[in-house]
Amino acid sequence: MSARIFVCESCGRAVFPRRLLCPDCGGSAFRDEQIETGTLEDFSDRGEVKLGVVRAAAGPLLIARVEGEPRRGGEVSLDEDGDVPVAHA
Amino acid sequence: MQERSHAVIVGAAETPYSRHPPEGTTTESVLADAFVRALEVTGVRREEVDGLGVASFTLKPDRAIDLAWKLGVRPRWLMDDGNGGASGIQMIQHAMRALDAGDASTVVLLAGDHFTREDFKTLVDEYNRTTARYLAGIPHGGPNALFAMLTRQQMEAHGLERADYGHLAVAQRRWAGMNPNAAFRTPLTLEEYLDAPPVVEPLHRLDCVPVVTGADALVLRAEGDGVRIRALRALHNVDGQEGTGLRTGIADIAGELWSDAGAGPEDMDVISVYDDYPAMAVAQLNDLGFAADGDLSSFLRRVDDERLPVNTSGGQLSAGQAGTAGGMIGLVESVLQLQGRAGERQIEGARLAVATGYGMVLYRYGACANAIVLEGP
Repeated sequence: MSARIFVCESCGRAVFPRRLLCPDCGGSAFRDEQIETGTLEDFSDRGEVKLGVVRAAAGPLLIARVEGEPRRGGEVSLDEDGDVPVAHA
Repeated sequence: MQERSHAVIVGAAETPYSRHPPEGTTTESVLADAFVRALEVTGVRREEVDGLGVASFTLKPDRAIDLAWKLGVRPRWLMDDGNGGASGIQMIQHAMRALDAGDASTVVLLAGDHFTREDFKTLVDEYNRTTARYLAGIPHGGPNALFAMLTRQQMEAHGLERADYGHLAVAQRRWAGMNPNAAFRTPLTLEEYLDAPPVVEPLHRLDCVPVVTGADALVLRAEGDGVRIRALRALHNVDGQEGTGLRTGIADIAGELWSDAGAGPEDMDVISVYDDYPAMAVAQLNDLGFAADGDLSSFLRRVDDERLPVNTSGGQLSAGQAGTAGGMIGLVESVLQLQGRAGERQIEGARLAVATGYGMVLYRYGACANAIVLEGP
């Protein structure tokens, strides 16, 4: 189980979603990096679905569908549904 | 210091904002309605219009040129703008330079939308490629859940409670009661605001703009009498969507804006901030420096108790959000106030106004931000 972030081949800056050029060095080549966990910075409960903002250890923030019982600041394990990040609290 | 434009805004018009527009209403029909009203109030003849700018989410596949054709206008300057809540000021930024340079002499700027149920679903799910690919499948259900998180963070950062936002909503509804074009005009109490059904905590129904059909228009001329543009600044994509979202690009341009204008927040007679959510109105007021002591709660109480002139048309929260017209509603209100044409809600002796634009939620929050200071004739 993991989710994808994107890492600039030139300088190592991580982003999500993928950009066209690296915000730091302008490089255009990114490699996928699989991450298994992140920190749930915040979440929002809209009834049928919860969504949250997950901070990857490498820096980027991912908006994810949140499953389970979320707690702000808690660690979540990450997964993907197609391109959509899924956080398991 | 930017070079000040010689262009003037000679008039502004707005169609009624309606939740249930008459059968047969279309986006192009409300834009045409705003165009005709703008010519009527300014006395400008259609033959004189040689510049046309249009912002709309739902006009597509038509563009400004389709509208020019159907309205019978032959523009020497033509602009399509797709920047939502920032589009009004964005179009002025371009139009005023075109007028200064002689590309055109009389420009009409239009913004407006009519959403069918299907249009609105498409807008929410396919707002941009990032939304379609990474958010729609959550499903995120539109921006409410994102701005719920942002609102809660603002509450924590500034020690705000729901009632603080309520003061803004109540005050704007009071102004809307004096605006015949507003969709919601019945006075609102703080209790009613607090008791409104939850949407996504901490947002309740009266924190979310009602979607309406309507359009706004501005008429600019290269020179002459009219509302002058003292300063206009923009800064988009200020933090690459990697900040908190609580600080917009306006914070970075506020110093230049006030310096260019030769005036400060304390000099403003009319204040119009982009209010897609109360928290964003609060963020922009803060970015502009309206709560210099940092006490946003006291400032919001004063907006209500002391009738501070913030969003005096009722803003989007009460007048309604007519799509991209949300980026022009504050400009139209500023012009009407500075021209002494604001009717029952007229601010006595209004001479200076500030308006902001904000929007385009690329992933986590709005990326576009701009601001303008206007001076009455």
